Amino acid sequence: MKGRKTLSIGFEDGVLALLPRLRRFAIGLSRNPVDGDDLCQMTIERALSRRESYEPGTRLDSWMYRIMRNLWIDERRASRRRSQTFVSEEAGAFIGAAGAQDAAAELGDVDRAMASLPDDQREAVLLVMVEGYTYREAAGIVGCPVGTLNSRLVRGRDALLARLGGTV
Amino acid sequence: MKVTREELAAFADGELDFERHVEVERAVAADPDLERAAAAHRALRAGLSTHYAPILDEPVPEHLRTLLQRKGSVIDLDKRRQSRSTTRFNVPRWAWIAGPALAASLVLALFIPRDTVSERYAGGQIAAALDDQLVATQSADAPVRVLLSFRDRSGDYCRAYSAVDQAGIACKDAQGWRMIEHFDDAKTAGSEYRQAGAASAELMRLAQEMTIGPALDAAQESEARDKYWKKEP
Repeated sequence: MKGRKTLSIGFEDGVLALLPRLRRFAIGLSRNPVDGDDLCQMTIERALSRRESYEPGTRLDSWMYRIMRNLWIDERRASRRRSQTFVSEEAGAFIGAAGAQDAAAELGDVDRAMASLPDDQREAVLLVMVEGYTYREAAGIVGCPVGTLNSRLVRGRDALLARLGGTV
Repeated sequence: MKVTREELAAFADGELDFERHVEVERAVAADPDLERAAAAHRALRAGLSTHYAPILDEPVPEHLRTLLQRKGSVIDLDKRRQSRSTTRFNVPRWAWIAGPALAASLVLALFIPRDTVSERYAGGQIAAALDDQLVATQSADAPVRVLLSFRDRSGDYCRAYSAVDQAGIACKDAQGWRMIEHFDDAKTAGSEYRQAGAASAELMRLAQEMTIGPALDAAQESEARDKYWKKEP
C-alpha cells in the first residue's frame, strides 16, 4: 500500500514539476501561448488517463514530451485538413494570409524565424537547442532514427542562421 | 580533412564521439570559416535558449495545476473557496486554512511516509494538542500545531497536525485519536528530502479526500472541542 501511494504521489508531483518546461515546449511548438496552454492541457489529460502505461523508474519527462509531441502532430494534421477545405471551398486564402501576416508582425525575429521552419525541423530544434536533449533522447521522443533527427536539426539550424544571421 | 554540416552542428552540440570531436576541433582551429560557422551554431543555441527561457519563470496557469490535484477533491469546497483561495505551487485549496501554520514551519525537514501506523493512536503531546488546541487561537510557537479540523465521511472529527519532527492526520474515536496518516522525521533513512511544507500540502490533499464537507470554522471547532470531539449520535 505504501508503494502504491508513493507512486501515485510521485506521478502527479512529477508532472507538476515538469509543467514550466512542458509549457515552454508547447509554446515553442504551437508558436503562441494560448495554443501552447491548450496543448499543455490536452497533454496532462492524456497523461493522466494513460498513467498506467508509464513505467516507474523511466524518465517521466521524455514520456510527457512524447505525448505532447504526438498530440501536436495529430492536431496539425487535423488543422491542415480543415484549412485545405476552407481554402478550396470558400476561396478565403487572402483573409487567412492577411490574418497570418498581422500575427507575424507582432512576433519578434526569433519567433518569426522559428515559425518559418517546417514542423519536423522546428520540433528537432526545440528539443535539442532549447530543451537540451541529446540527439538520441530527442530521436526517442520524436520516434525517428538518430540520423534523421540530426539532418532535420541541421536543416532547421541552417535556415535559422540564414534568417537571423548574427542577430541572435 | 572534410567536416560535414551535420558534423559541425554535432560538434557545436558536443554530440561527436571523443575521437572525432578532437579531429573536428583541430580542423576548426585551423580554418577561420569553420571557426566562424561553429561559433554561429553555438550563438544560435545560446540565443534560442535565452529566447525561450522566460517561459520557465512565468506562473503556470491555475487551470493546468488544477488538473493535477488529487482526484476526490470536493467540488462544492472548490466553489465555496474560489474567491478566497490563493493556491500556489502544489499546495491545494485547503492551504488557506493552514497558511499561517505552513508559514511557521518553513524549516527544512525530512519526511517519509510510515507504513506501520494503521492501528496506532496519538499519545502525549500530540494527543494533548489535538484535544485542546484550536487552529484560531493556538500560539504561534506551539510545539504541535493543528493545521485544520474536519469531519470524515462517517462524521468523526479529524485533525491534521504538524510538529517539528512529525505531521499527520488523526481522527477521534472511542479510544482516542487514531492516526490515519503519519509522517515522521526520518533522518536515519536519509534518502528522501522533502520540505515540511510539502508534507503539509500532502496532508491537505489527504484531508480533502477523507471529507465530504468543508473544514470546520473557528466556531464549529470550538464547539466540537467543548463536546470532546465526540460525533453527534
